Amino acid sequence: MISQFYILSPRGDVIIRKDYLGDVPRTSSEVFFRNSKFWKEGDGEAPPVFNVDGVTYLHIKEGGVQLVATTRANLSPSFVLEFLRRICTIVKDYCGFLSEDAIRKNVVLVYELLDEVVDYGFPQSTATETLKQFVVNEPTVVAPAYYQAKPLFSLNKGPTGVFKSVLETTRTDGKRRDEIFVDVVERITCTFNASGYIASAQVDGAVQIKSYLAGNPPIKIKLNDDLLIGKRDAPYGLDARSSEGHTVVLDDCNFHEVANLDSFDVDRTISLVPPDGEFALMNYRTTHGFKPPFRLHVSVDADPNSEYKAVVTLKLWCEVPADKSASGLEVEVPTPRYVQRVHCDLSDAHASGGKGGPAGGGVAQQAWDYNEKGHLLRWKFKKCPGGSEYTLRARLTLEKPYGASLRSEIGPVNLRFTIPMHSASRIALKYLQILKKADKNYNPYRWVRYVTSSNSYTFRT
Amino acid sequence: MSDGKYFSTTKRGEIHELKEELRSLDRPKKKDAVKKVIAAMTVGKDVSMLFPDVVNCMQTDDLELKKLVYLYLINYAKTQPDLAIMAVNTFVKDSQDPNPLIRALAVRTMGCIRVDKITEYLCDPLQRCLKDDDPYVRKTAAVCVAKLYDINPELVEDRGFLDMLREMLSDANPMVVANALAALQEIQELAGPGGKDLLQMSTQTLNKLLAALNECTEWGQVFILDSLAAYDTRDPKDAEKIAERVLPRLQHVNSAVVLSAVKVILRCMDVVALGPSGGEDTIKAWSKKMAPPLVTLLAAEPEVQYVALRNINLIVQRRPAVLANEVKVFFCKYNDPLYVKMEKLEIMIRLASDKNIDQVLLELKEYAQEVDVDFVRKAVRAIGRCAVALEKATERCINVLLELIQTKVSYVVQEAIIVIKDIFRRYPNQYESIIATLCDNLDSLDEPEAKSSMVWIIGEYAERIDNADELLEAFLETFPEETSMVQLQLLTATVKLFLKKPTESAQKMISAVLSCATTETDNPDLRDRAYIYWRLLSTDPEAAKDVVLAEKPVIADDSSSLDPSLLEALVSRYLATVAAVYHRPPETFVSRQRLAVTRADELGARKFEEEDGSVPGAMVSDNNAAAAAGAAAAAAASSVGDLLDMSDPTPMPAAPVAAAAVAPAAPRGLDDLLGGLGSLDMGGGAPPAASTSASADPFAALSGPAPATSLSGGGAAPVAGAGMSPAALSQLPTLLANPGGVSVQGRLVRQAGQIVYQLALRNDTMAPVDGLMIQTNRNSFGLGPASQVLAIPTPGGAVPPGSVAAVRVPLLIDVSKVTPPPLSTGLQVALRTTQVGVLYFNDAVPLSALTEETGSMEAADFLAAWKALPPEASARLPLAVPSADVAKQRLAAANLFVLAHRQVPATGQDAIYATCRITAGGVGQVLLELKFVAGAGGVDVSVKAERQDVAQLVFDGLPSVLLGAA
Repeated sequence: MISQFYILSPRGDVIIRKDYLGDVPRTSSEVFFRNSKFWKEGDGEAPPVFNVDGVTYLHIKEGGVQLVATTRANLSPSFVLEFLRRICTIVKDYCGFLSEDAIRKNVVLVYELLDEVVDYGFPQSTATETLKQFVVNEPTVVAPAYYQAKPLFSLNKGPTGVFKSVLETTRTDGKRRDEIFVDVVERITCTFNASGYIASAQVDGAVQIKSYLAGNPPIKIKLNDDLLIGKRDAPYGLDARSSEGHTVVLDDCNFHEVANLDSFDVDRTISLVPPDGEFALMNYRTTHGFKPPFRLHVSVDADPNSEYKAVVTLKLWCEVPADKSASGLEVEVPTPRYVQRVHCDLSDAHASGGKGGPAGGGVAQQAWDYNEKGHLLRWKFKKCPGGSEYTLRARLTLEKPYGASLRSEIGPVNLRFTIPMHSASRIALKYLQILKKADKNYNPYRWVRYVTSSNSYTFRT
Repeated sequence: MSDGKYFSTTKRGEIHELKEELRSLDRPKKKDAVKKVIAAMTVGKDVSMLFPDVVNCMQTDDLELKKLVYLYLINYAKTQPDLAIMAVNTFVKDSQDPNPLIRALAVRTMGCIRVDKITEYLCDPLQRCLKDDDPYVRKTAAVCVAKLYDINPELVEDRGFLDMLREMLSDANPMVVANALAALQEIQELAGPGGKDLLQMSTQTLNKLLAALNECTEWGQVFILDSLAAYDTRDPKDAEKIAERVLPRLQHVNSAVVLSAVKVILRCMDVVALGPSGGEDTIKAWSKKMAPPLVTLLAAEPEVQYVALRNINLIVQRRPAVLANEVKVFFCKYNDPLYVKMEKLEIMIRLASDKNIDQVLLELKEYAQEVDVDFVRKAVRAIGRCAVALEKATERCINVLLELIQTKVSYVVQEAIIVIKDIFRRYPNQYESIIATLCDNLDSLDEPEAKSSMVWIIGEYAERIDNADELLEAFLETFPEETSMVQLQLLTATVKLFLKKPTESAQKMISAVLSCATTETDNPDLRDRAYIYWRLLSTDPEAAKDVVLAEKPVIADDSSSLDPSLLEALVSRYLATVAAVYHRPPETFVSRQRLAVTRADELGARKFEEEDGSVPGAMVSDNNAAAAAGAAAAAAASSVGDLLDMSDPTPMPAAPVAAAAVAPAAPRGLDDLLGGLGSLDMGGGAPPAASTSASADPFAALSGPAPATSLSGGGAAPVAGAGMSPAALSQLPTLLANPGGVSVQGRLVRQAGQIVYQLALRNDTMAPVDGLMIQTNRNSFGLGPASQVLAIPTPGGAVPPGSVAAVRVPLLIDVSKVTPPPLSTGLQVALRTTQVGVLYFNDAVPLSALTEETGSMEAADFLAAWKALPPEASARLPLAVPSADVAKQRLAAANLFVLAHRQVPATGQDAIYATCRITAGGVGQVLLELKFVAGAGGVDVSVKAERQDVAQLVFDGLPSVLLGAA
């Protein structure tokens, strides 16, 4: 089983250390840090599982810290990696946040939790809910310092902006705030080929729940009626009606063990007793008929005035519904090494109708910069409303005369973005019902949120 | 209130202050103090001197305080068992506390104290807790049995704890079931391969586990699935039953559950395939259900993806149908980490088929234009491998490669040329038309592999390249500066050119090359090859043509294929384990050592080692080591005296100093590696005089340039003798790879009736390494070096930096150092050096080293013995033996004497009866029966011997004998 577990700070200091079997020397944390920092094969990252001198190291990184487990046995690596992830979740649930600071401020609590979670290297009960009865220490809730500066939805997966310990629900002093967050989080992977058609596209989504409801009342959630799940509902393949695009089709999905799916196949409702803390009620993926939120067109032309210059024109269409908008959009255009300098002109050709605002306002929302070392042109937007269209004209100064090969040497163009309150798969929560019969006045806060972000959104050229 | 503040105090009188606070009557203050102690402990400060004070806080009804004290104890229980045992009375009392939380805490903590003495106090509470009413206590107690087993296996068996664990498998609480199962699995592993089957999986247990599967936590589910995968059933009905229950697990969120479930189902598929109908429909249906969950794993975090991909790589080799239509999901995303991209490429190549090759090629071409050089190279290679694997797609692949060459990016062009060479070798005489394009890019070649590939192409197709001689001549200009790879290829290509187009310029070139290669080079390979060509050309040019221009065998893409028997083992036994990630059998990296259990009289010694181990390089070999160990032991003895007398905690630090003088008299309980080396060094301060006696060993040879054997005699004579040639050196298995340090290769062999360790030590450090000594730990055969000093035949016995020293260490058998059964081939070796400290490595004693030359017997005696001996142990080894004669030869070479051979008419099998004798470890005469079908996989082996545990030894050792590896 697991021989040791430790949490390392970004500088390699041990913040938390537990030794279970005693068959790996204490110095292993240094061996690990050296090897992960300077991985021998090229400059790539160390793989998540590697072996040095008969000791297998398994590690993940989250919140700036590294969680490491060592073993000498031939156990299941995904078992250990999943377990490390779970420890992250538990720390987040109890300390409100996972960071070096949060752990240092809650050392005793973290040790107490670890003692319950692992015994002699065997994972025990890891449910946030169950652990509550064994924990006697008080948390020191830490919100990240940078939080105020960032928008509500950063690129992280999972509900953000809630930094609260699950132990709050046991408070009786009236300051308790009962609430439940249900987030539909989707990440898009999409590749467009050079002619602008989709080469591959996939949405990975999850229904994440973070519950702070005292007494754990049962809840009921309803999803779209027109939801079809590939192998479950259409074992013989999908027929024409589903490919028309009026239904939401999922390729595969899985559910958390608390989900009661008795009526799911009938009316798409899931009933559950949500345990405290954060968990994914449902994970799904789909490749079917969703509309990509962005389209891009790249053209490369010679400059008639100088053979050492070229003009690259990027045209970007934001195709989300007009009432939504993308935030933090970044377009990355790699350029070849022989590009010396770049200068760009920005304009939004057709600002979207209605509230799109005057053209000048649109320009203020955008910016560009060119990284000469990395040969990377970046086009950034603060906000990008649905239905809008933007153009960037970049004048490239070249070290050698313009050639037709420049066309294929620019790109592939990558996009990064977050679209709040939008689900690319069109999956939706029709209602969220908290079933608590006894008390009519019990009306906890309910938050249902959607967020779609890019995972890998690439235009090939 | 935050714990952060506990870290802030760094004052000098801190410890004293804490002591005061711990004694305070004010509870919050006390609590605060314990928290400070824990914070100090975390940052690595030694707060063990506060032990008595902290333990005094333990007797409280405040749960929070009690838990804090336990937290402190559990930490020191591991590293300072001598201290922890002082608290044993409180533990025993707490184990009867009305609060289940406290009962469990007590048992949990007690199990962590690794002192044999603890067992006396632990057994009764453990027995009680295993039967506790509260499931939380029961599940904690179950784990504790595994802890106790690690300290004292006999006790666990005597007290019937194993039976209790087995009973717990039918406990009503799934958590208890999972922990009992995990404990049994752990104990099974600790007992080693020779241990008896603890789980005793019957239909009944099987049903229990299947029932618990749905109720368990995800971690428990993995334990259950792993034991299901280990369940060896032959009954297709059983397999179907298991699979039906396991299939729903594929929907689980936890990737570990999914992978373990996949492993069980793959196992079941194998069993179903044995059934009367072949189970094709069932297998098809299961495969269909397996694909989507496997694909879903790729949406997880990169770490989980990586593990999944390494497993999928194995699955698609074994059962390609499962993911045949899913190649698209393995396309790389631009933000995948490199390690994920590389694995995805590998799987894309495996899944490429005539149907999807266009799609795959399009992707690969995109990757070949990305920024990351390693990735780009691998993508170009992938295109080549697709071409070699798929005949119909070759032309398309070549077109893509040509397009890539047009980009003129140097490393892309070079990589493309390397793979095109492979394509030519696979499809000779089909695609020469593209040679012209390749020749346009000669200038960009600067890597040896690309250069030699291009040279090979020119030589091979010299007759169709008009200016082949000019091209080669251009390469030859830099002949002396090239790497040996390119030189060899140039030599061969020039000879080919000369044989194909014997023009004047070719003649000039050949004589220049031959004279350069024979007179002006240090490289023996190049020189030898040049001599061969020279002699061939001068005696019989026609024969030379037959030799040099002979038809070459067509290659296949096997660059990353695994050995079939390894693949089989990885898929059916080790899927979803670390072995499946490394693609290596677990024996090669699992180095599970049983921890030495501290006996009360060694407590101090252990403490010392532990401190020492943390300083790299400094080892117990210090002259003071034994003295200190003895001293500390004496100190510990006194603390044990006080064990039950809590009122008077002996101040620990004073004792060692007082007892230092007792050192020489201190009994040495352990005959282990470190002790052996330590005492050795005590004999003399400097590297001892003993080295002279050992360096008389005539076989020890320092590697270097091999003795140049002249080729004028016609053929190269192999570098014979017991000394090792560089080639032989490089064939030795690596025991300890330590780039930048000292690496060890070696093998145990039998030479002239003696077991000899052939070792090669590579010194990659910047300085010479000397003072080499070797010692082995106690082992099943009592093997130990005849002389501990390694005889390195250089001045001062030092290995110069950057060189390899070969050493031959004769081993003796010392009956007194034989470990008790079960037999294990494991051999733990320590190698001491003055510069880099002590190196440890594990080796396995091969069967062929143990079997004696005189171990044969009369056929009649064999028959009598076969009847007289206890029933045989049988196993089926996943090997393929080409023919009975080969098998006989190989057996004989390993001193396994074949007494009879017959054909079994009913099954078409060959049956071979053989015998061998192993004196080492008191094994005695071993009788074997091997049955196999020549050429087909699977050898049935039956073994009979006086001792039952010999069978496993033979099963482990036979494969290497039969494969001729020994």
